[in-house]
Amino acid sequence: MVDLLEAVIRGLGRGSIYALLALGFVIIFKATRVISFAQPAFMLAGAVLVTFLVGPLGFWGALIAATLLTALLALGVERSAVRPMVGRPAFVVAIITLGVDIAVRVVVNAFLGINVRQVDDPWGLKTVELAGLRVEQRHIAVLLTTTVLVAGLFAYFRFTRMGLAMRAASYDQEAALAQGVSVGSVFAVSWAMAGGLAAVAGTFVAAGENVDGLMWRIALVALPVIILGGLDSLPGAVVGGLLVGVLQELAANYQAEYAPVWLGENVSIITPYVVMLLVLLVKPYGLFGTREVERV
Amino acid sequence: MKRIAALILVAAVSLTACRGGDTTTDAGGIKTDIGVTKEPCKDAIDKAKGCIYLGIISDLTEGPFKALAVPITDAQKAFWKRVNTAGGIGGYEVDVTTYIRDNKYNPQVHKEVYDQIKGNILALAQTLGSPTTAAILADMKASNIVAAPAAWTSAYAFEDVIIESGANYCIESMNAMDYAADKYKPKSVLSIHYAGDYGDDAAAGAKIAAEKLGMTFSHLKTDSGADKQAGAIAEIIAKKPDLVLVTTGPTELATIVGQAAARGFTGRFIGTSPTWNPALNASAAAPALAALYEQSAPWNNWATNTPGHEAMRKALPGVTPSDGYTSGWVWSYPLKAALAKAAANKDLTRAGLLAAVKSLESVDYEGMLPATAGNYKAGAAGQLKMTAFYKPDKTAPTGGVMVQDLKVGKTAEAYKLEGPCFAKL
Repeated sequence: MVDLLEAVIRGLGRGSIYALLALGFVIIFKATRVISFAQPAFMLAGAVLVTFLVGPLGFWGALIAATLLTALLALGVERSAVRPMVGRPAFVVAIITLGVDIAVRVVVNAFLGINVRQVDDPWGLKTVELAGLRVEQRHIAVLLTTTVLVAGLFAYFRFTRMGLAMRAASYDQEAALAQGVSVGSVFAVSWAMAGGLAAVAGTFVAAGENVDGLMWRIALVALPVIILGGLDSLPGAVVGGLLVGVLQELAANYQAEYAPVWLGENVSIITPYVVMLLVLLVKPYGLFGTREVERV
Repeated sequence: MKRIAALILVAAVSLTACRGGDTTTDAGGIKTDIGVTKEPCKDAIDKAKGCIYLGIISDLTEGPFKALAVPITDAQKAFWKRVNTAGGIGGYEVDVTTYIRDNKYNPQVHKEVYDQIKGNILALAQTLGSPTTAAILADMKASNIVAAPAAWTSAYAFEDVIIESGANYCIESMNAMDYAADKYKPKSVLSIHYAGDYGDDAAAGAKIAAEKLGMTFSHLKTDSGADKQAGAIAEIIAKKPDLVLVTTGPTELATIVGQAAARGFTGRFIGTSPTWNPALNASAAAPALAALYEQSAPWNNWATNTPGHEAMRKALPGVTPSDGYTSGWVWSYPLKAALAKAAANKDLTRAGLLAAVKSLESVDYEGMLPATAGNYKAGAAGQLKMTAFYKPDKTAPTGGVMVQDLKVGKTAEAYKLEGPCFAKL
């Protein structure tokens, strides 16, 4: 039982990172109807920025600064590479974001150099005893940070004018425009938010570990997360992220005991995709996705 | 008519793309073909000398071994510059800078860039990675292209075109097992490794040694990426082996050791040589690594006092010490010896170089490896079987201090290499 609970907590820690990444994908998708494949690059950029800023600013200062800088970077990308493509098919814009991802990662890799770097987080691999459970402090930290950010985001969408504008634009851009909503600003804020969230996620991926050029691949797990949560659902991104994180950790923990040998030794890697497929069989629009209604 | 013209054009382009090609004999009576020109090298010290072109295919930008591969490549540039400064080989200087390509540690990319440069080079001064080199091996054999590997798989003992140095992964693991058996008396061993010629070879060596030493053996294949180690960590926690052999990249090592220790594991870890990166001494896993981890190595580190190490340090002033440099430097000696022998035989063709490799009975590593090293004529029987051990130390130049000098363990000593070890996993 202790094993199980510890695995669940580790999974929630890992899932929190997926949730932050997935939120970025969903925010951009809701605003622009495009899946941005640039999120992995923003995640890596944020983490690398923290490794450079942590010396002068300390961890939290570096995290805030890196989040803002990555948000600015995302905003710049939106203005320069994505905005001119408004009105073009979503597929074309998605491919452009793929190009942006590669270009940004090349630049970030140049800053990263050949060695691994550290974000010098306060937790490292230290553990704490909670009700008889050995829990890594970084998992508690990322869970709390995600909780605060998610609460803030939901409050933002619920109570602020721009949040309301973003919700309106996500339902119907033309109607929102007619009501005076600046859809361009909505696009910009969406990209900036997604960039910032990716930076936070990247920093927590590196907490207790290292930043290296391959770290960006973690962001790809957010893709099955958003599909199973529902492409246009913010709660879906959070629930999907946590669910995938926990299931992945449970798969890693109990595979040797219960999984057949022919599945190989790393079932946890494919868990997100298996869960996504299973959920889609039952709910084709994801757990919380909006069912599309079309006139025929 | 247009079709014929196009064919002629393609043929002309193909021919001019190759440096050399036809066998010719120079003024000194040396036969040459591909990758050797009468024209001087781009950065020639003596413009009167011709140029031998060697290619380098390495993991230079985004693969898991770039922290090793970049200094390996820089050391090889410095090594061949030293050779050129000392007069070159057989009236030629050696160029290793024109045909440097990045493989991203991807076999497909490795093959692509090899195809791009193979028409212009005599040999490869470096082909990094066992799985990547496997992608070009058949073509190397067909084209008589000799290569110094940046890898240590035991399969190279059976490949004439590969001119390897130091103990292979299989032997290194056997030595690690003997070392651990003497020092820690483990009863069980778990090998965590990448799939392929690198990881499987090390795991196979551990398996063979475990049978000899009466230990229980198990192994788990893991993927590259810190995020993909949850299964490996869970296996360690569940099985609680006395010894874990890790054959991965550095980031995976830090994740595995750090998180297993955080979950209460107190057994020992030994890493295969490419698994270490001194930058890990600054990571969150550093305390766990310092307490539980040791590193096996096929030769002694950067700070060692031998004429070869001193020459290397002199040729690389101002660099941050790394054993990537040491490896790049060591790996270059056999190719230098083979080129010198081929030149002495008046045959610097690809076939001539391969013949020279097959006839080498020893290589002068300037003390970096013992005098018995470099017996390629003896084939697998001539393999060097020595391994050294280091432990992490933040204050040491390359992040580790020696705990045991180069030595052959009893298991490796008695083991007769009859085929690639990884086939026995």
